[in-house]
Amino acid sequence: MERGPVMQEHDEVTKMNQIESLMKRPVLYNNIDGVGELGMGFMLLGFALLSWLQANSPRNAIWHRMDVCAVWVGLMLLGIHYGSKAIKTHITYPRTGFVEYRKQKARGWLAFVQGGVTALVAAGLAFAARSHWDIDGSHWGITTPVALMGLVFVLFYMLHIARAVPWKWAVASAMVICSVVIAMLPAGVVGEVGGSTSAVATLSERSFGAWLLFITMYGAIFLISGGISFVLYLRHTQPAAETAE
Amino acid sequence: MNLKTRRIAELDRVIHEPGRLMIVALLSAVEQADFLYLQHETEMNKGTLSSHLSRLEEAKYIEVVKTYRGKIPQTLLSLTAEGRLAFAQYRRRMKEAL
Repeated sequence: MERGPVMQEHDEVTKMNQIESLMKRPVLYNNIDGVGELGMGFMLLGFALLSWLQANSPRNAIWHRMDVCAVWVGLMLLGIHYGSKAIKTHITYPRTGFVEYRKQKARGWLAFVQGGVTALVAAGLAFAARSHWDIDGSHWGITTPVALMGLVFVLFYMLHIARAVPWKWAVASAMVICSVVIAMLPAGVVGEVGGSTSAVATLSERSFGAWLLFITMYGAIFLISGGISFVLYLRHTQPAAETAE
Repeated sequence: MNLKTRRIAELDRVIHEPGRLMIVALLSAVEQADFLYLQHETEMNKGTLSSHLSRLEEAKYIEVVKTYRGKIPQTLLSLTAEGRLAFAQYRRRMKEAL
């Protein structure tokens, strides 16, 4: 049976949609093994640990020294970079293949602009929430910006990671719940998390506590989600046979 | 023949074939990828994928580099400038035709 022009056009539209979706697959492939999320989780938890040490140590402790913080962050980033590289080289590439991404000058700027827009949106939402709902500056005014920042974070997560894997929507939901829980926590609890000595002079214990809770919870979620992805990846893939291609 | 049908008829037949279109679309988004990655994404068997790659190489749309990753042979594939241009034209014509 000959296909009519409408069916032919439908086929071509489908084909065009498939092309666009295929062109996005290499970017989503970056986290096929969960390594992207594991890296993010380790980074957030590393920052959380450093912040906790700062919050719970005297002002003259080494955790408050800039050089110690710089070494901590440097070692953490190096560990994440080389750890991710080792997993990719020894596990991912032999199982599902190697990809080298295009180096686009614009990408660095794009990330910078995205970061700026995120910060602005979070600040705008916090400002709008405070003025619209008349949130006072003592507690709600402290936890709300952190919670809203989390929600903006979730949007980026959904856009870049969750759309490739259906169960990651549950992870995004967990992030939203965490943001809401942080915003709802009593002032005393948040203040306790912030410790007795605020790491940054301009931040109150409660602001610091809200920040610490945020990065700890999100770090843990990323780590668990990345770990599950990694285990599933290992289960469902095998190293390729060493035959000629 | 109406304009739309004519536009579709003018499409690059090397790229328009579904298997090759998948390969070109995937390679267009990366600097280079290996054979295993394309096999994983396209779910084609080695023979079929090799045959499509040969056709694209003949048309000078892709560059094939045989190398080693440690002791394991690795085939790296990338779109040539000509291939990128042909794919960009293909997409443009497809959009015009729809």
